[in-house]
Amino acid sequence: MTWWRNLLRHPLRSALAVAGITVTTAMLLDMVLLGGGLERSFERLLLGRGYQIRVSPSGTLPFDTETTIPGAAALRLGLEADPEVTGVAPVLGASVFARAGDTLVAVFAYGIDPEVQAIYQPLSGSDLAAGDSLGVLLSAPAAARLGMAPGDTLVLVGRLDPQLATAAIERRLVVRGVARLLYDSRGQLSLVALLPVVQSLAGLREEDRVSAFVVRARSDDQADAVTARLRSAHPGIEVNSVTDMVRHFRERLVYFRQLSYILGSISLVVTVLLVTTLMTITVNERLGEIATLRAIGVSRATVVRSVMLEGATLTVVGGGLGIVLGLATARYLDAILTTFPGLPAAISFFVPEPDRLLLAGVVLFLAGVGAGVYPAIIAARAPIADTLRAEAT
Amino acid sequence: MSPQPGEIALRAIELRKDYPMNGETVHALRGVSLEVRRGEYVAIVGPSGSGKSTLLQLLGGLDEPSAGSVLVDGVALAGLDDRTLTRLRLTRLGFVFQRFHLLPVLTAIENVELPLSEAGVSRAERRARALELLGYVGLAERAAHRATQLSGGEMQRVAIARALANRPAVILADEPTGELDAATGRSMLELFRRLNQDGTTLVVITHDEHLAAEAGRVVHMLDGRIAVGRQG
Repeated sequence: MTWWRNLLRHPLRSALAVAGITVTTAMLLDMVLLGGGLERSFERLLLGRGYQIRVSPSGTLPFDTETTIPGAAALRLGLEADPEVTGVAPVLGASVFARAGDTLVAVFAYGIDPEVQAIYQPLSGSDLAAGDSLGVLLSAPAAARLGMAPGDTLVLVGRLDPQLATAAIERRLVVRGVARLLYDSRGQLSLVALLPVVQSLAGLREEDRVSAFVVRARSDDQADAVTARLRSAHPGIEVNSVTDMVRHFRERLVYFRQLSYILGSISLVVTVLLVTTLMTITVNERLGEIATLRAIGVSRATVVRSVMLEGATLTVVGGGLGIVLGLATARYLDAILTTFPGLPAAISFFVPEPDRLLLAGVVLFLAGVGAGVYPAIIAARAPIADTLRAEAT
Repeated sequence: MSPQPGEIALRAIELRKDYPMNGETVHALRGVSLEVRRGEYVAIVGPSGSGKSTLLQLLGGLDEPSAGSVLVDGVALAGLDDRTLTRLRLTRLGFVFQRFHLLPVLTAIENVELPLSEAGVSRAERRARALELLGYVGLAERAAHRATQLSGGEMQRVAIARALANRPAVILADEPTGELDAATGRSMLELFRRLNQDGTTLVVITHDEHLAAEAGRVVHMLDGRIAVGRQG
């Protein structure tokens, strides 16, 4: 009871301390979310459709470069030969042009097999059917940019002849529906058509080229073993499980993560210093009272508990507000950061997961309790007689 | 067996207390022996610097003597660990200070309840006891007031109620009227007289001649020694 009222004794001071802790907690939380958020978000994105393995040209990761793999049909059969593989989805990515009146609009085209696709979710209209070589799906930004809706006819232009400035190939397709492309960046103009259609537009039909295969193993537990077998059976291509890719991703982000941990640690230290300073000032102001309490028989343990409860209360109140502020700022910052060109819109820099929030909360609470240790020691060790004598004079 | 009137409640044997000050040793107490019997009212008087407050602090286990020993209800304070000594202060001794030293964030009744709470008394029991004590010192109607809302005399009454909370063997009071005006001081004399008549053992340090005159025995201190004792 007294610890709570002691905090209210100087309401402005306590409020400022809570405000300080709120800000540092928000920063700590954002750094914790940022430290692992991108990696988790990336993993979630890759596993979103249940395909645990990626096959790409040798020495690359999928869509890292414009390199492609020839002989897709034969390789697909080879990959499907593994008894633990339950699905192999070929994907070709290529730049094409769509006619919009008198102008050509650059659009990114995905060539897929609708029966085993892993890159989009239909939003409206109908999905592509197997063998529907006249159909196309548009991303929402592409549909809006081109002014197209399901049922409209879209004219696609493949490679341009650089000398004649004419189209090498042109296809008329019917828009079947609008889809959300999982790997698209925000506002990206893209479309999905059957693999042979996109291969033709890109001039890659003859060699039956694809950018990557997305492979599904029977179970997540088997994914690494299947990856190893495929890697061994097909040495000319790159085979990675999502686990491998996340590891690659983590290696690329190591400095980013270290930076966020350093900044998070700094905010934690600032919180501890803030609470320790405030509590030390408060305890020094109240040494006379504390000596009186000790004189009338209040134990050291009670005094220590009271001081530490004050510190912990400041931290819990400030921390609680800080978590709310941190989540709000994370959302705001995420909206800014995910507009970076080329970054999939589904990627988040800040992923507020319960275990991360719990970790931040526990670390903060322990820091608050720890911050009360020094002032609590001062309070517990206050010499009763000397302090009372000093008070009297 | 409960203590009987006339038994020794507090005993000081050859107490000495030396302080280092500016590279020299100050002899605050130079061998003080004192016995206080249960039910006695002892006033300790003397000029400033004579060692009165130091003696009271040693009698109350708030400080350690350089030599000699103190026994409270027959228990020697020397060698007690901090927890036992604190418990002894809580249950056997009551303290009244010149500046009252109430907790300003608590109400009158909560201040009285504080030592009861520390002693582990149940909420209902300590509330009843605190109310009874506030009634005894004439402040029942001010129970819900914050310490800061009370006058000096009222604060000292609450402090006395607090000191009585755990039914101590001895009340040690350091200049209890020192911060009070004359009229309030006189009412305090009556309260101390009543306390003693009701069986409370009192050791009071005072400059107040009237308060000293109420005591059954007056101990004069001078230069760290008991100069003379008079039976009242």
